[in-house]
Amino acid sequence: MEHNTYIPKLAKIIHIKEEVSGARPVKTFHTQFLQENGFSYRCGQCAMLSVFGKGESMISISSSPLVKDYLQFSILKMGRVTSALHEKQVGDIIGIRGPYGNSFPIEKWRGKNLVFIGGGIGLAPIWSVLKTTLDKKKEYGNLSLFYGARTSNDIVYKEELEEIKEQMTVHLSIDVEEPDWKEYVGFVPLNILDKKPSPKNAITITCGPPIMIKFVIQNLQALGFKDEQIFTTVENKMKCGIGKCGRCNIGLHYVCKDGPVYSWADLKNLPQEY
Amino acid sequence: MDKILSKKAFPQWVKKLQPYRIYAPSRDNGIWIYKDIDKPEGIDLDFLTTALSAKAIIFPQREIFLEFEQTNESVPEINEVLPKDEPTIVFGVRPCDAKAVTLMDKVFGGDFEDIYYWKRRKQTVLVGLACSPPPSPNCFCLSVEGSPHSKEGLDILMTDLGDRYYTESLSKKGEEILNLGKGLFTQPKAEDKKKKEKIHADAEKQVKRHIKDLKKIPPKLQGMWDSPFWDDEAMSCLRCGICTYMCPTCHCFDINDEIYASSPPKGKRIRTWDTCQFPDFTMHSSGHNPRPDKASRLRQRIMHKFQYFVENYKNYQCTGCGRCISKCPVGIDIIEVLDKVRDYGA
Amino acid sequence: MVNVEDLRNEAKRILKEEKVKYIIGYTKSQNGMMPTPAFIKESKDVDQLIWNPTCIHNLVKFLVDEKRRKHREKKPDERPVGVVVKGCDSRAIVVLLQEKFINREDVYILGVSCENGGVIDEKKLAKKLKGKTAETITQDEKGEFVISTKEGKVKVSGEEILAERCLECRANYPVIYDTLFGNKARKKVDDPFKSLDKLESLSERERWAFWKEQLSKCIRCYACRSACPMCYCDECVVDTINFAVTADTSAEEKAGKIKWIEKSPISSENFVYHMVRAMHLAGRCIDCGECERVCPLDIPLRFLNKKLEKEAKELFGYDAGFDPDEPSLVSSFKDEDPEDFIR
Repeated sequence: MEHNTYIPKLAKIIHIKEEVSGARPVKTFHTQFLQENGFSYRCGQCAMLSVFGKGESMISISSSPLVKDYLQFSILKMGRVTSALHEKQVGDIIGIRGPYGNSFPIEKWRGKNLVFIGGGIGLAPIWSVLKTTLDKKKEYGNLSLFYGARTSNDIVYKEELEEIKEQMTVHLSIDVEEPDWKEYVGFVPLNILDKKPSPKNAITITCGPPIMIKFVIQNLQALGFKDEQIFTTVENKMKCGIGKCGRCNIGLHYVCKDGPVYSWADLKNLPQEY
Repeated sequence: MDKILSKKAFPQWVKKLQPYRIYAPSRDNGIWIYKDIDKPEGIDLDFLTTALSAKAIIFPQREIFLEFEQTNESVPEINEVLPKDEPTIVFGVRPCDAKAVTLMDKVFGGDFEDIYYWKRRKQTVLVGLACSPPPSPNCFCLSVEGSPHSKEGLDILMTDLGDRYYTESLSKKGEEILNLGKGLFTQPKAEDKKKKEKIHADAEKQVKRHIKDLKKIPPKLQGMWDSPFWDDEAMSCLRCGICTYMCPTCHCFDINDEIYASSPPKGKRIRTWDTCQFPDFTMHSSGHNPRPDKASRLRQRIMHKFQYFVENYKNYQCTGCGRCISKCPVGIDIIEVLDKVRDYGA
Repeated sequence: MVNVEDLRNEAKRILKEEKVKYIIGYTKSQNGMMPTPAFIKESKDVDQLIWNPTCIHNLVKFLVDEKRRKHREKKPDERPVGVVVKGCDSRAIVVLLQEKFINREDVYILGVSCENGGVIDEKKLAKKLKGKTAETITQDEKGEFVISTKEGKVKVSGEEILAERCLECRANYPVIYDTLFGNKARKKVDDPFKSLDKLESLSERERWAFWKEQLSKCIRCYACRSACPMCYCDECVVDTINFAVTADTSAEEKAGKIKWIEKSPISSENFVYHMVRAMHLAGRCIDCGECERVCPLDIPLRFLNKKLEKEAKELFGYDAGFDPDEPSLVSSFKDEDPEDFIR
């Protein structure tokens, strides 16, 4: 029987955590397929989540492929499908199809220092590659993370960040002063200029709001990082996930198929239409 | 193999093809559209060009992917809905429309094959009709590596010789249906072949519109991303979507869930045509829109057809049918736009 | 007679005096006989403007575009936009003014009178010419047309090729203008809804069958909506999203937008789309005929809107788009309004 990639596989939600409450809520879901189907993926790839009756949404898989028991998705409530997902309870069934897209070339980064830079919900798409490389720490150089959010409430993976602080350098920041905040106050790109990570033998991986990515890249370049050393994962409106419906088309590429992982050296040659 | 079929015998051949579902151009007021032929006697290939190309038969405007039903409390039932087993023949396919189907094949193949498209594609036989003369005043197939008698994508090519058709089978599928009409066909004479070739050559001379130096355009487009050229060209655009919906090569689509019962919840996941010319095509849920204005959308259409597709598949994503020019309500003319691109800044 | 030179000179004057940002008018197309909309920004380009019976487009839609464009700009140019309008088009401007969608100061109206009948319907012309291509078209004082083709000249009467709506037109010169070109003679029309007679004579069953067949062709390209100057809503019943969202719009609001019509181009959805659009245009449609002209599948949409125009006239004595100070039909009431449907 020919494989029909449009048909989602059923998965049960086994765990839900409210990461961020309030006006911009984020929830983390752990899902388990109802049936074994050999789903395997690499860091950076995404999957199309289905809420039957509402639609589909392309979400990065934020758990590391080393975790075999579940897939993790961290979802910001934004529109119709994500609102429906936020209303799900543990035990509810959704559809998942994928994995789609390309992945971070972590084999090529062995021995290098990795600087992860995330903003807001942008930590989720790079969490998979962060946890995978952290798990195999010995194969890489120095690992560090710059992460910031609008307010301390908007920080995702609050507990996980506390845990990894013992294994890698973590620089947190929030945009505006808060009474109990002891770390950097200001935008993430400025925190980078403040801490000056070295470009020597380093790769940076960044994700966040488009405006943050723009300034992060500018500041990294100012610090001496070359375009081939800067990696990001791009978001665009997607429907089919396999490079046919045209929605995520940027220049010669379809973000769902040829991306979402790009080095700035490649991305800067594409039309800036995302 | 080459055969001759008299026009009188044509409906008889169609009658012999009955197990197949047969589509042919049919007149509906002022326009021609492909309709299911249930009366073979009524078949008539005396038409110009159809409003919608044969693309609509292989890649229908509405296609059901799957059906879902929440019968059980928690587990929904998902049923794949594949296209029916329905061998189909389409008569009267113009060479430009057939070439367009081969371009769509490139998109729907690749790493993830689109099962729905290929099921229909494999069971459809395309019977072409050579253009004599070019059916539209806006035809420009010669400029985009096509011709009024091109065989690309066709299983059979028919040429109208007056009272008979010169019929050439170009594939196994074509040969099969020719064989079903055994006895109705005769061998072509030397003068038949000569007449056919003259008709083809004359048709080429009658193509009125051309794009000069089209090869210069893809590299030129690359440098025109930020140009104010697009704002001026798109001023009169109504963003109505007609150009893309009529185009035989355009393939953008949307996937939506449609619910038609609520207890228990039942619905279908449907694919429908979509167009990059609509303002909400690229709009994110957040409200951010990478292509917020008409200029960026016109730029996308031209660049996708004449630069991105060329680099990815080595073909222009345009077969020169002229529908977008004839049907645009405000007269935006793709040939004019390309001429301006080529001469821009000179 | 409408003197094109007068139109060009006036256009030149207001551009030179920087009274307007640009002028929307008609210009000769490079391909074929029909004109295309032109956007004249410099006074030296005014010779591009033309005026003849092929100028069928309703240019008022571009005023809606202009408003959207201004909305996106940080420091928009507040000068008005000049626009060339026929009688029917001017009624569209009046409706936009009544609804306060644009202000009178936003538009400089160059009104042209449709002398000798109106404008040409391309489809009727093609039917008359039977495959021949029209190259030029001129009109004599009696209103007869002389069309020249490669195969010779063809003479036709106005009734044979003028747009159907022109034959019933009650606004053959603009009802509102800053400058008027041409005569101010109002055409006398005995029955402005004559074109509905044929359909109205059919039984309800026959009418349903007619519309079922016609609307089954609809591919939901929304060209009818895009061409209509009165379809300017950012939150349209047909769209799955509301274009007026901002970064601060809550997810609940976005998720809560009801899907009134599915995207599938099937009979039920097509019917609902066209019926809803017609209802939303009741008392607003000024019969410019653009919806029918742009339809790529030749669906006779004008009848739907014309019928509601007749209802508005018969039930409420209302004519859309004549008096900018009059309130719109659905946002006002009179004590004498009919009540017989209230039981």
